[in-house]
Amino acid sequence: MNFLRVSKIVFGSVAVFFLLAPLFAILPLAFTNSAFLNYPIPGYSTRWFEELLTAEVWRRSIINSLIIGCGTTLLATVLGTLGALGLRGTQLSPVFSFIKTVFLLPMVVPAVVLGVGMQLMFARYGLANSYLGVIIAHTVVGVPFVVVNVLTVLQGSDRRLEQAAASLGAAPYVVLGKITLPLALPGIVSGAVFAFATSLDEVVLTLFVAGPNQRTLARQMFSTIRENISPAIAAAAFLFIVGTTLIAIALNLSVRVSQRGSRQ
Amino acid sequence: MSVLFRKQMVSLALVAPLLLFLIVFFAFPLFTMMKSAVSDPVATQALPASTNALSDWDRSSSPTSEMSAAFVEDLRQINDDQLFGDLVRRLNSAKAGFRTLITKTRTAVKATAGPIDLTAVDKRWADNSYWQVIAIATSSTITDRNLLAAVDLERNSSGAIDTIPAGASANRTILIRTFTMALAVTAACILIGFPFAMIAASVEGWRRQLLLGAVLLPLWTSLLVRTAAWFILLQDTGLINSTLMFLGLTTEPVSLIFNRVGVVIAMTHVLLPFMVLPIFSVLVGIPKTLMPAAASLGAHPVRAFLAVLLPLALRGVISGSLLVFMSALGYYITPALIGGAKDQMISSVIAYYATGAANWGMAGALGLVLLVATLLLYVVYLRLSAERELKP
Amino acid sequence: MDNSFIRFDDVSKSFGALKVVEELNLDIGKGEFVSLLGPSGSGKTTILMMLAGFENPTSGAIWSDRKRIDKLPPHKRNMGVVFQNYALFPHMTVSENIAFPLKMRGTSRADTSERVKRALDMVQLGALAERRPSQLSGGQQQRVALARALIFEPEVVLMDEPLGALDKQLREQMQLDIRDLHKRLGLTVVFVTHDQTEALTMSDRIAVFNHGKIEQIGSPSEIYDHPSTRFVAEFIGETNLVAGSVHSIDGHEAVIRLENNEVIKVVAKDRLRSGSKVVFSIRPERIGLGAGPGNTLETRISDVVYYGDHLRLLLSGGGQSFVVKTDRNRLPPSVGDSLTVSFLPSDCWAVDA
Repeated sequence: MNFLRVSKIVFGSVAVFFLLAPLFAILPLAFTNSAFLNYPIPGYSTRWFEELLTAEVWRRSIINSLIIGCGTTLLATVLGTLGALGLRGTQLSPVFSFIKTVFLLPMVVPAVVLGVGMQLMFARYGLANSYLGVIIAHTVVGVPFVVVNVLTVLQGSDRRLEQAAASLGAAPYVVLGKITLPLALPGIVSGAVFAFATSLDEVVLTLFVAGPNQRTLARQMFSTIRENISPAIAAAAFLFIVGTTLIAIALNLSVRVSQRGSRQ
Repeated sequence: MSVLFRKQMVSLALVAPLLLFLIVFFAFPLFTMMKSAVSDPVATQALPASTNALSDWDRSSSPTSEMSAAFVEDLRQINDDQLFGDLVRRLNSAKAGFRTLITKTRTAVKATAGPIDLTAVDKRWADNSYWQVIAIATSSTITDRNLLAAVDLERNSSGAIDTIPAGASANRTILIRTFTMALAVTAACILIGFPFAMIAASVEGWRRQLLLGAVLLPLWTSLLVRTAAWFILLQDTGLINSTLMFLGLTTEPVSLIFNRVGVVIAMTHVLLPFMVLPIFSVLVGIPKTLMPAAASLGAHPVRAFLAVLLPLALRGVISGSLLVFMSALGYYITPALIGGAKDQMISSVIAYYATGAANWGMAGALGLVLLVATLLLYVVYLRLSAERELKP
Repeated sequence: MDNSFIRFDDVSKSFGALKVVEELNLDIGKGEFVSLLGPSGSGKTTILMMLAGFENPTSGAIWSDRKRIDKLPPHKRNMGVVFQNYALFPHMTVSENIAFPLKMRGTSRADTSERVKRALDMVQLGALAERRPSQLSGGQQQRVALARALIFEPEVVLMDEPLGALDKQLREQMQLDIRDLHKRLGLTVVFVTHDQTEALTMSDRIAVFNHGKIEQIGSPSEIYDHPSTRFVAEFIGETNLVAGSVHSIDGHEAVIRLENNEVIKVVAKDRLRSGSKVVFSIRPERIGLGAGPGNTLETRISDVVYYGDHLRLLLSGGGQSFVVKTDRNRLPPSVGDSLTVSFLPSDCWAVDA
């Protein structure tokens, strides 16, 4: 019995170490003053952050990531929320369960396969090497997260709340605006965060559809690791981790505030 | 009835924008890719007169004068260099030597205006086999050549399916490598993930929070960041090697990057959450009273585990394995950054054909193989989770 | 038609092949408190949902105040609905919840706050106006739901098992409160419940449903004392069902031969025919111990159950078993004793099998 307990602790600690160590190992390297990504760190400086913000390729890629991420978030959140609203309450119909499967399929299809198809098609219709093309590509893979998140919240909320609102005199669009959407807000927000994070992290589709002008931060990190790795990668990773954490926290807070503030 | 119909119409109107969006920008690209795998319009487009002239030819008698006249006419007409380049590539891929032959012939044809004797330009035009290639290429705009080549098969001159001579192509090697690497990653995920989920389900409070957090944090972290982290750890001067050398376990750095070991380690780290979470959710769903019940009925803890917990947890293991295997099959970034040339999986080859070689046919064909394999696994996964919903 | 306010006219509802409500005809008068009582799956909630507009009849018509309403969307029906789990909006405060229907009707701000204040006072929740529903107890939530359904002075209030989630004491208190509001405001109430006591104590009339059809409709005492079918007799309260055949009919009295050939007298009803098989309902509290006027029966005690305020005896006699409720101070009976019981012919009520 005691042996079991000890082995549980040992295995658990080793596994947790395996999972977390790489993430924490990369963070201090962002502050190295050396040109090499090595431990021990000879001295600390912020030169690699300066490099990120001043070197044209990095600066450009950060701006591109923000433009494309915001576009993707907007498009995916609107389309995905509408889709989830339509899917709800129609679980019985085989047509709609098929549509739901279609909505989730982009999560499953290998990115490279989709990338090849998009490259072929986008080139034919003038979408290649354009911001719109990259936003569309990112939306395709980001939108399932919005659908899943919103649908989960909608299915968890009581249908009778909307019936009650209708019986109290609210027209359907008022029910949507005053009851359904406010209740779905946490799902919409977390769906939007997922969509943004997906766009930020997308490399493969970007490789296929983006031109040199749409090079995103993730794409830039990909080629830096591949071609000539430098501590700028660690600094970018640091920004990534801090950025996504901050966005998640900020949006979570805003949901709480807006729910509390809805009393006019 | 009409009210139900109206409700359905409202639902349909709500899903319509996304459905339309995905049809245009998701289904249509996939369709385009599949079409490129089987379409072969180059020869027909570039050689319209020859297409006509060669359609009646029995492909065994010697080439007729109409055939060569039509071919000469076609070569004179081609002004689009892109199209000509595609044609050369198409014919040369079917028979080596076409590149020099056709370029030489074109120059000769363009130099004069009247009819020309092709065999005088190059003796090879007397050889039936070159004409056969053109005949096959112009006979149809659809081809199974790429699909066959994706699994190292080809049609021989008589049209029967045959294997490509050993060493001519590596596609089958890559398919097998992709499957074995995905299997290795899945096995590693089970080995770590199953005990991990068991432990997480057996403890409570902060210990469970810590274990689950350790799984979820990487899931939320950028894939690129995680891959970069492994790159830094695994390199010859990286933290792992310097630790090993500091401890005196090795004097030379152990080669961990640009080989299979590194790829499997990094991919296991990336995909582990997809194994742990399904198993964990099955395990916490098992009533806490089952093990005591088994014990009260006289089962030794080991027996109780084997007879009660393991069969119930198995469904989570299967779901998790399908998810991990499915994702691993199509992985691109991690092998591309951490693997060496001999660790490239099918995705890298597809990317090479598409962006490097501009061979859309092969990219499409290999893409189709990967797509079909992934979707089949997904259908099995959906079946399993639907079954689970039926019996709570 | 004169007094009918809500009218169901041959209303049927089916979900696919499943018939949930069959050819319902029901009139509800203005100011009436009508309960729809039945086991789950008897169609009573579907009827309420059709009245509120959340379901549409497959066929038939629903009228309210002589206007046909079955095609009207819910928000135009002007009916206050109190839902089973209250359906309070979790993202709004108590006063926002209550003000919601007024807001929907474009009531002025000043008027709204005045009426919300009055409504809160009516349900004694003035102090909790700024709380969220999740911060209220079940009973408080129930009262908010009630205030919200009443504030816009709807013509009809529909209640779908509104007390189901409350514990027994609170439920009884709320029963009295709702009955009081009904009388005070002259509300028309349609009340769905599966609790027979609730229906008996609150209603002007009760409609007992089974398999999508009305088994019987009438005042609580009619339903309890004169159940028309075996289902009603068994569903409302407790009863003894006695089977026999009609031996002879003599004016207002019929003689029934029980299965063990004993005979008893009952009040003759139109449908009794000499020689036909018949089932009677006799309520346990209508059977007296010892010889008395009317029918007497020799029985043997097979079990005695102590209930605190009364004793329940399980008897066998007349070829079957009986349950009898009795004052616990009478005699200390013991199992195996023989016992004479008696009951009046007027307490035997023939029911449709």
